[in-house]
Formats: sequence, C-alpha cells, structure tokens
Amino acid sequence: MVDSVFLALSVLTIGSAIVALEIRSLIYGSIALMLTLSGVAGFFLLLDAPFVAMFQLSVYVGSIAVLILFTVMLVRRELIFNKVEDKRRRYAGIGLMVVLMLGIGTIIIGSGLKTMDTNSAAVDYKKIGEDFLTYYSPALIVMALILASSIVGAMTLARREDVIDDQRAD
Amino acid sequence: MSTIAPQFRLSRFIGSLFDLIFWVILIFSLVGLPIVFIVLFYIKLPVINGQLMTPYLAMTWMADPSRTLPIVKNFMHTTIFRVMAFPGFGFAALLAAATIFVERKFLAKMQLRVGPLYCGKIEGILQLMGDGFKLMSKEIIIPAKADKPIFWMGPLLFVGAAGAFVSLIPVAPGWVVANPNVGLLAVFAVIGFFPIIAVLTAWAANSKWTFIGGLRALHQMVAFEIPLILSLLGVVILSGSLNLSQIVESQEHFWWIAFLPIGAIVFFITILAELERVPFDLPEAESEIVAGWLTEFSGMMYGLIQLGTYLKLYAFAGLFTVLFLGGWNGPMVWPPFPQDIITQGITIGPVTAKFPGLPLFDQEMLNGTLWFVIKTVGVILLILLPRGVFPRVRIDMILHTGWYKLIGLAFINIFIALGLLYAGVLGPGGLLH
Repeated sequence: MVDSVFLALSVLTIGSAIVALEIRSLIYGSIALMLTLSGVAGFFLLLDAPFVAMFQLSVYVGSIAVLILFTVMLVRRELIFNKVEDKRRRYAGIGLMVVLMLGIGTIIIGSGLKTMDTNSAAVDYKKIGEDFLTYYSPALIVMALILASSIVGAMTLARREDVIDDQRAD
Repeated sequence: MSTIAPQFRLSRFIGSLFDLIFWVILIFSLVGLPIVFIVLFYIKLPVINGQLMTPYLAMTWMADPSRTLPIVKNFMHTTIFRVMAFPGFGFAALLAAATIFVERKFLAKMQLRVGPLYCGKIEGILQLMGDGFKLMSKEIIIPAKADKPIFWMGPLLFVGAAGAFVSLIPVAPGWVVANPNVGLLAVFAVIGFFPIIAVLTAWAANSKWTFIGGLRALHQMVAFEIPLILSLLGVVILSGSLNLSQIVESQEHFWWIAFLPIGAIVFFITILAELERVPFDLPEAESEIVAGWLTEFSGMMYGLIQLGTYLKLYAFAGLFTVLFLGGWNGPMVWPPFPQDIITQGITIGPVTAKFPGLPLFDQEMLNGTLWFVIKTVGVILLILLPRGVFPRVRIDMILHTGWYKLIGLAFINIFIALGLLYAGVLGPGGLLH
C-alpha cells in the first residue's frame, strides 16, 4: 500500500516538475508547480511528519504559488522572461543536475541513513519545538533575525514616496 | 373521446408483466447472484454480534426488520457513513441548505419579497427546490475563448476544498470525519486553496469582469489569511494543542471567547472577508462588476460554486464554535434512552416487538450534536445578518483594515494569551484548570 502510494507520488511529483519546466503556457506551468509542491507534501505525510506536510501545503502551495500566479498574470511576459534556448544549455543543465544528485546522494547514503530504524514511532512535533527553544535557540534567533531583516528590506524597497494617494479619505 | 392506448388488451398486459418478472428472476439468479458472490469474496466482511456477516445472514436479517438494526448500527460506525452522512457531507449539506433557505426568507422578510415567503403554500418551503431545478435545467455555457480544462475544474475543486474543510470539523465527541493531530494546520492549508481556485477560474473565463473579481478575491483573501491565522494562535497557546477535538475538550469549563474576545472578533471579521460576504463582497460586487469572478458560470456549475460557498460558510461557523464557543460542550439536556424499550421491547396491545441494538446513538453524542448545532446556527445567523444592513467597503479600506488593524489586534490577542499563560491563570497546570 505504502509502496504504491510512494510510486504514485513520485510519478506525480517528478512528472509535474518536468511539465512545469517544459510547458509553453505559464499558467499551466504554475499549476504544475503547485502539483509538484503538493506531491512533496505527500512525501512528508508518508514520512509521518504531518506538521511539515501541512506547512508545506499552506506556505508553498497557499502562498508562494499564489505569488507566482500573481506575477504571471499581472506582468507582461516579455518583461520578465527573455528566451535563451539552445541545446548546449539544456544538456549542461541536465549534466549539472546529475552531478548534484550524485553528490548529494553519496552524502546521504554515507550519513548512516541505511542503519536507521524505520519502524520506530514518529517524533512528536512538540518535541521538535522544545528542542528549538532550548538547545537550538541560537539557530532560531538567527533565523528570526534574517526573516525580520528581509521583511524590513522588502518594505523599504516597496515604499514609494512619489505616489500621493488623493483618493484616501482618512 | 380520445383513448391513450387504443390497442390495449388486459390479458396481454398481464402476460407482459409475467414475462418481465420471469426475465428479472432469471437474469438475477444467473448473473446477479454470481456477481454479488464474486464481489463479496474480495470484500472483508464485518463481524456483527459475534457472527460473520455472510450474504445469507444478511438476507435472513433483511427478512426480519427488527433484526436489521445491528446492521444499520454497524454501518453507522464505518468511515463511509461518516464521510457521506453524519459529520460529513450530508449533515453539512443539510445545514448549508437550511442556511440558504433561512437567508432567503430572512432577506425576503426584510425586503417583502414574495417567493421565499409563499412558494409551496407552507412558509415557502419549495423555494429551494425551485431554485435547484432552475439551475439544473439551465444550459451550461462556456465562453468561446475560455480555457476549458481550468474552467471546468474550478467548481469541482471549489466544492472539493469546501468538503475537505467540512471533514475537519468535529461535531460530537468522536464524531469527526478526519481527526489529524495537526487539525488546525490542516484548516490553514485548506483555506489557502480557495484564492488559487478563485483566481484560476477567473483567469480561465477570459472576461474582464471575472478577472477583476478574481484579482480582488486574491487580494482580499491573501490579506485576511494572515490575521485569521494569527487570531487563532491565542487559542492554540491556551489549549496547548492543534487537534480540534482536544481544543474542544479543553473548553469543558470555560469557553475561550471569555478570555480572548479580541481574537474572536478578529476571527469573525476575517470569516466575513474569506467568505466574501457583505460588507466584504467586493469579489462579486453585483452592482459594479456584474457578478465578479462568478460572472461566466451558468447552470449547475454556478450551483456547485454556491454549494461550495455555503459548505464553506458552515465549516467556518463550525470552526468558530469549536475554537471559541466550546464546541459540543453544554449541559446534558437530552433525555436518556428509556431502559424499558431496551430490556422489554415495545408492547402495542397483544404484540411485543423487540429491537436488539437500540439505542442507535448514545446520549452524549446526541446532546453534543444538539449544542453544536445550536451554537453553529447562531454563528451562521450572525454571519448572515450584515448582508441586510451594511454597504460595501472600498478595496483600499479592506486592505488597510486587514494589513494594519486586524494584524495589530491579533498580536494584542496573542500577548493576552501569553500573559494569561505566564501568569499561571490558564494553560497546563494553571489556576483555573
């Protein structure tokens, strides 16, 4: 049962990822990207991590895919994309991907993944939260600072002084 | 005088009836029964009252109506019953239909409309059916330049997402379709799908009204999703759980609305915005942009969108009840099932009928459902009320409200919850627990 679900999810994820790259229509491409991200959420569900899966859905599908859709619909295509296509780039991309996957794969396999106990109970997300707030708290603080500074930076960049809103009543 | 069938002979008619019965019996015994047995061979049969449920046993029980109750009761505890009937689709659709009906009557009363008050003689009871038949008999028109696959998928996805939302709402102790440990996060994940569906179908219809409506829907829903999530964090902090059933159980003594009124108000306003209801109905503002992102839908596609909208309305009202109003908690007002009927059966004159397997539902579940329905209906009425009262708000005011004021209020709510927790008043090991 789990194997067949895993196979179906893999086909869905990889297939829609290829579609997202190759299809001509940008809207369909972003829909395929949503399917890919949902497939990754499915993998997390299979791995007994529903917390991560739900965040994958609500952050990646619910927000980032919406952002991409927004961009695709509101900006004219020629402004954001200029097509540079030739065979050599494609093959170089495929080669780079293979090298990357081989490298990451050897690292993962060498990291003791094979000796992992697959029948043990899933880790409770509350335990992960406790660890985050105690042992790993410096990492949490650094992440919070990075996110806060990026938000402040985005707001500074998006602010425009030259636009005067004369419709506003308040 | 014209006759309906001039060649009619009674003997031939009866003969044809016998013919029909003969063929039905022949085909059933030669084809139907083998198929039934082949199918049953692959299905895991349930064990009822210590007996394996074989087809012969099922037929025996069916012959005696008083013995079928165990089968019915067993069926009620299967997943398919939960999904189709009680806490799932049937129940939600019933409440949604009642909502539409009450809303139409409510507005009709306010504006003196005739249909919902008169149609069908008794309190306009046939109005909904009339609406449904009208939608079903209408032609489904798809604009010539529309993007057909997305346009067709839109209503189905919308109903599907609303159904997923409904399946997460616990109605009575143990009566919920899906009960994941991260139920509230699942709710957030499902809510995130609605703006995508709205903007995709709006784009696919290839019309400027739908596109303007879709973009408005996207702006509004994305802007209000953040205060929605933030306003619920207070409840999660105080109850210490993301599981909706456990959140209800944590309100056995106090409802969270007593401690977090600001959160409840923010959540209610965001509900109105997420449901695109007055005063936040800009995505379908009928006096400005025809019907917004629903403009090009016709016939049953429009009907499906409406069904999804009202399922979503029920689910949001149920979520408000679960998170702030104590869910199924309430005083035990449902009378216990009379013991005489269980032990002695019902005696009518000389006949005594025994019904093994009674009662069908236990007292707690019925009482919980009663309280849940009462509270949810109250919240639904509160959601319907602004439609008759308020004007529509401008888009920049909506965004201003969502991004500035509601997020600020939601943070105040979180600080109140944290204060209550750290002061040792509530939460695990608190004074009031």
